[in-house]
Parts: sequence; structure tokens; C-alpha cells
Amino acid sequence: MSGRALRTVLPGLLLIAALALLAASLPAFGASRYAQTLVYYLAYDIVLGQSWNLMSGMTGYVSFAHGALAGLGAYATVIAMNAGWPVPAALAGGCLASVAGSFVVGASSLRLRGVAFTFATLFFQQLALLILRKLPLSGGPGGLALQDILPLALPQILMVALAALATAGVLILRRSRLGIRLLAIREDEDAAAALGIGVTRLKLGVFCASAAIAGAAGAAHGLFTASLYPDDVFSVDVSLTALAVPMIGGMATAGGPVAGAALLVGIGELLQIFAPSLHLVVIGALLLAVVLFMPRGLLPFLAAPLRRLSAAPQPAAERGTAP
Amino acid sequence: MTLLDLRDVTKRFGGLQAVGGVSLGVVQGEVLGLFGPNGAGKTTLFNLIAGSFPPDAGSIRFAGQDVTRLPAWRRARLGLARTFQVTRPFRDLTARENVLAAVPRRGSTTPAAPAARLLAEVGLDGRADDRAGDLTLGMLKRLEVARALATDPLLLLLDEPLAGLTGREAADLLALVVRLKSRLGIVIVEHNVRQCLPVCDRAVVMEGGVVIASGLPDAIRTDPRVIRAYLGQEAAE
Repeated sequence: MSGRALRTVLPGLLLIAALALLAASLPAFGASRYAQTLVYYLAYDIVLGQSWNLMSGMTGYVSFAHGALAGLGAYATVIAMNAGWPVPAALAGGCLASVAGSFVVGASSLRLRGVAFTFATLFFQQLALLILRKLPLSGGPGGLALQDILPLALPQILMVALAALATAGVLILRRSRLGIRLLAIREDEDAAAALGIGVTRLKLGVFCASAAIAGAAGAAHGLFTASLYPDDVFSVDVSLTALAVPMIGGMATAGGPVAGAALLVGIGELLQIFAPSLHLVVIGALLLAVVLFMPRGLLPFLAAPLRRLSAAPQPAAERGTAP
Repeated sequence: MTLLDLRDVTKRFGGLQAVGGVSLGVVQGEVLGLFGPNGAGKTTLFNLIAGSFPPDAGSIRFAGQDVTRLPAWRRARLGLARTFQVTRPFRDLTARENVLAAVPRRGSTTPAAPAARLLAEVGLDGRADDRAGDLTLGMLKRLEVARALATDPLLLLLDEPLAGLTGREAADLLALVVRLKSRLGIVIVEHNVRQCLPVCDRAVVMEGGVVIASGLPDAIRTDPRVIRAYLGQEAAE
């Protein structure tokens, strides 16, 4: 990336770093357990959302498996920890398990265009649940518990760091040639191929990278909850959260998933108090409203009038020559 | 240097033979015009060269390599760039981003031309930050050329570049072709023979999937087979 591009993302990177430092140092300010947990879930949703954003937001290939990919990361990490691996190795193992899963799904379906990939991810989501319910290694339907109990600060700080890294990564990617090529794939694959873009490889590569992020989220979350039940971990709810966060906040943007996660976590908390059973109904209605009225998501929708305002006073001469 | 070498290239779609045993070559620094009436097989031949689909028989060599079975993106990496007859911009990206998306040819010795210079070359300076979806057809046609040039190609394939352009726009585009040909080979598929022929060094005329005439533009203009193909039997007599 060029120096000019770097300068345009620098303020964003600094903002991300400042917010992450603030979130990670909450306990030092004496924040309540409740506030810390809220921030943790906000960070978790941001990581899930950014990982989905990286694949589906950028290339347009909709995944319903990011929850299952995170689940693979969680299981692999907890199994590795129980086998006596040190924490960093167990986390890396979690990421690798998710990447391996994504490679199988992607290599079999990303050669094709359109909905083949989406169906493959749905199939994978169900298959992962079935397999982990049966495997003795994963504790079967009764689940699996982490034997060492770690201080909660570890997964909390880890998740905040992941959220910051993933958001910074998307911010830089969006300004890089690689990011432009991913968007080009979303727009027109034939035209992208005509420009020398190896469409199938790039899709597969970015899906694996996105799975590594989802796997890291799952791995940290496994340390946080310390007990895994297959029906919860592989519930389609997690995949829907990963999808809803960027779709509501704004796809193919770095800020969109942050806004989306804040909105979802906020709404979720309010509903806990007023109408706990309506959670999914409200999320569904929100998604529908966003898709219908602001297809680019909340953040771009709100930013559009500002951009028009700032573009308006430009004199005609600067707009270049007419044809 | 021979850039492109087609030998007996054949393509069938079901029972229809769209291209039947076409052989032709293109060297660096020349503009080859590929003409013919509707349904002559021009666009199919063009797509075979670009790598949209493989031929049923025959071979295609490009820059000294057999590319008959290579997919389009690999051919682009070797220096074979194309535009589309119906423009296919990345509508949600800006004109500059459209150009930046291109991957330079492997072994490209000239450093990647800045997007601004390529846009200026096709007269789109000042439109760099406009969404491609907001540009006019004439601009999109030129954006396609700028995008193709961003791959630093050895051979540029233009599929009906004049279709839908005003007379002035078409003249500008042909002037660009003349400026470009010193550094690369160009193949133009075009319906508008009259306007396009003057910039061609050689021309090939197809009908019914086969080459019915090829040679210098002046010879093509008066070839009775060509006149018959375009205007019918009576005009040729």
C-alpha cells in the first residue's frame, strides 16, 4: 500500500487503538463485571462480524458457516488445552482447525458461482454439529469442559485485541489493491478474470483468512465460557450474528461491523429486560428493514448525505472535462 | 515478433459450428481488423482468443506459449488484455479503482503506470473519483480500455469498441488505437467497417464461421467475396 493510502487510514487506526486500549483497561477503572461482560460480547460480535465481512461483505459470497467455523476453533482450542498444550499453541490450533474446515468447504464450492458456496456453508454448519455430537473426543452431546480455569481477563483482553486487529485489517484491506480486487470479484467475475485476477484462488484464500479470524474468535470464546455444548456452539444463531452484524452496520466497510455489533448488543440487552423471548424476532425485523431501506447498511446510509454535502461545493472545472 | 498464432481453431455450440478452422496471426505493432456480418463468428473467435472457453479443435499460441487450455486470467497475466462488447465496469467502484483492480502482466518491465496517467490517456482525467456506474456509455468504453492497459498488455483485444459511441467519441477512440499500436499488437472486432478500416494494418473478414478474405485494407474493400457477404449477390456483380 502506498504512503498516500496509509495516511488516509492512519486516523482510523489510531481511533481503533485508542478504543481497544480503553476497552482492555476497563477493570483498572473499576468497571463493573456487567460492563466488562458487555464489552466482551461487543468485541466477540465485532470479530465474528469482521470475519464474515472479509469474505462475504467483500466478495459477495454469503456464508452461513462462520458460526460453525468459530465453533471448530473453540473445540480445537479446548481439546488442545485439556491435552496440556500451552495457551498460544492451543489458540493457534483453534485457528488452524477453522482454516482446515474452510478449505474443505471452499475448495469444493468456490469454483462455482452463485449460491453453491452458500449451500455448502449451510451443509457444513449442520455437518459440524452432527459430527461433534458423535465424536468421543469432543465429549458428545454432553459437551466439553475446560479443565484449567484461566483468569477471565485473558480471553477478555484477547477478544478486544482481536476485534481491534480485525477492524484495522479490514480498514487497510479496503484501501489496498487486494481489497479492490475482492470487490471487483463481487461486481463481475468475468471482468475480474479478464484483468488477470485469479478469481477462484483469491476467493478461497480470503475465505481461509476469514476462517482464521472466526477460529480465533471461537478459540478465545472457548476460554471465556470454559464449557462447550455442541447445540449452543454450533447453533445457527452464531452464524446469523456473524452475518447480521456487517449487514446491519455496513458491508465491505471497517466501521460497519462495529456499529452493527454495538446496535445488536445494545438491543439484545434491552430485550433481556423487556422482552427476552422476542430477541430473534427483533433482530430479524431489523435485518429486513436494513435490507429493504438501506441495502448498504446503517453506516454508509448515514454517511451518504454527509458525503453529498462535502462534494457539492466543488467547482465544475475541477470535475474534469466532459466527453 | 509474432504475438498471436491461431491454427485451425474450431468451436461448436450444439449443432452450430460457430468457428470452423480459423488460422490467423498478429504481430507486435500492428492493428488487425476482424470484420464480418452478424453471426459470422467474430465474437466467438474473440472469446476463444481471450480464453472465455477452450476451442473444440486447433491450437492457440500467444507470446511463444501454447495457451489453448489456459483460463482467461492466466492469459491476462501473460499479456493478453480484452475489453467487452457490452461494457462490464465494476459499477460500485470508482474509475480509479476500476483501473487499480488490474493485475500487471508477469514479467512486465515497465513499472506499473499510475492509474491517473492511464485515465488521462483515455480522456477520463477528472472522472477518477466518480463511481463507474455514474459514467456515460462513451466513458465506460474508454474506461474498459484504460483498465485493459493497466495490465501492461502485449496484445489488446477490442470487442466492438465503437458500438454506441458518437462520431466524435469514435474518432477519439480510433486516434487512441493509433497512438497505442507502436507498443503493442491490437485486434479490433468491429461492425463499423467503414470507420474502422483506415486504422487497420491488415483485415480479416469472416462469414459463417470461416475466413473468407484477408489482406491489406484496400484489397479487402474491393474484394468481391466481401462485398457479397455484406451487401448480397447483386451488388457484387
